[in-house]
Amino acid sequence: MGGPTASLHPLSRADGSASYRCPATGSNVLGSVNAPIELPGRRDALKPEDATIEVFVKPGTAPGGVGERHIEGILRDALSRIILGREKGYPRRGVVITLAIVGGDSIGRGASYLPILPALLHTSILALLSASVPLSMSISATILAVDSSGKIIREPSSADAAATASLHVLAFTSKGHLLLNESEGAFNFDTWERVYERALTICHGTSALGSDGDVAMTETVDSQPLEGLVRDTVEDRIHVEYAWKIDAA
Amino acid sequence: MSSPLILLPGDEVPTDYLPSNGSAPLRLGPGLRLLSQAHPTPASTSKHVLTATQAGILSTDNKRNAVSILSSSNRRYIPTPNDLVIAQVHHSSVDYFYCMITPQSPHAVLGQLSFEGATKKTRPMLRGGDLVYARVLSTGLGAGAEVELACVNLATGKSEPGGLGPLNGGMVFDISTGMAARLIRASSASAEQQQVAGLVVLDELGKKLEKAGGFEIAVGRNGKVWVDCSNSEDHAVRTTVAIGRCLTTIDEHNLNPTDQRKLVTRVLREMKIES
Repeated sequence: MGGPTASLHPLSRADGSASYRCPATGSNVLGSVNAPIELPGRRDALKPEDATIEVFVKPGTAPGGVGERHIEGILRDALSRIILGREKGYPRRGVVITLAIVGGDSIGRGASYLPILPALLHTSILALLSASVPLSMSISATILAVDSSGKIIREPSSADAAATASLHVLAFTSKGHLLLNESEGAFNFDTWERVYERALTICHGTSALGSDGDVAMTETVDSQPLEGLVRDTVEDRIHVEYAWKIDAA
Repeated sequence: MSSPLILLPGDEVPTDYLPSNGSAPLRLGPGLRLLSQAHPTPASTSKHVLTATQAGILSTDNKRNAVSILSSSNRRYIPTPNDLVIAQVHHSSVDYFYCMITPQSPHAVLGQLSFEGATKKTRPMLRGGDLVYARVLSTGLGAGAEVELACVNLATGKSEPGGLGPLNGGMVFDISTGMAARLIRASSASAEQQQVAGLVVLDELGKKLEKAGGFEIAVGRNGKVWVDCSNSEDHAVRTTVAIGRCLTTIDEHNLNPTDQRKLVTRVLREMKIES
């Protein structure tokens, strides 16, 4: 089973877009970002100095419901921490992120949205990067399941996720800060600590923080760190677009 | 200058990449911001670090002592004062033409008298659908502000730089905004700077089409390029389409100079335009 794959700019009309596929969890998400755009009406009344961030999650086969609204709120809170909404041209305008779940198991009404949350986060960060929205840092996220014997499963399939004792989604910024933690099920603090260490390793390679705050990115048993996936995808795209400049230099 | 550096948001700009021109203050372009250092190290004297806010290539200009990030070339055009754009007139009122710069943005206004030598009696009569080559005069403040265009330098009354005004005949092709910026650099710069932009297509087309009557071209920062070959008589339409095809193909496939030359030769042969 291969690692997750991503591509930038699959959509030509959106300002920025990305598609993300994770074979382990079976999620496949297409995301687009339009920013900065003029918002209709007076939706900026609460925070006139900041950009309004809107997230829409569209399930592939069913109409959206309560689960989607809930996950949209989680995504909006996490992303608003890293989007610099006060940069020039952004205050009182909107950053609209649309995420379509195009593949994988459909999530039933009322079922947990956690298994697909890392894919949604990765898609939105890649789409934001491709739209050149100012960000303070980039993020990476992963999902871990803990079964009843205390074993940690990385990126569980939907069948595994249903059988486990607890599910944890953790997102880290590129500086190694914990940005988001959503857990469900029964677990104790020790389990969470172990989950945190493992997630940090998955997202950033070995969790050795250098003295200058840089995270050393090395290959581990967990193959390529997810932070590297985001970086490689963006660097590949920029290499293609600026081939004329790089060749000349 | 070492190899090009690709930065992601949050990455710090290494000091050895910054231009070393000490006399002028460093200018920060788009995509960068100045932060105070979180953990000051004794080695560095500066208390501040430059971090990227967009993903892109770090670009430095030693002459102007400027540094900026070149991000994705395929983004939507956002009007900035002094940009040259190709706008399409949508409708007009007593005082203004309402023009479209990009289809999804609100209309930009262009004064009925902001043309060279225009007075109340002699002013261009533009209808909906007509094209103008204009300069962005101001973009206003905050959300919902109007973008104002002008085809004339208000101080001198001349159309500066030359060529601003209505575009008659010809045809408009859509290109990416990054390609438009490169075309502007390639056409306004001297020969050795053209190498920097990596575009030889205009030179090549100019050489090959010289006998056929040449062509006129106007590049708008909003990702539009207008091509006119009215001098080449019976080949006019074919030549226009050929030039547009060359430009859009190069944009789509990011061709290098050698492939650009090959493409020009192939397209001209396919369109049966003798060169």
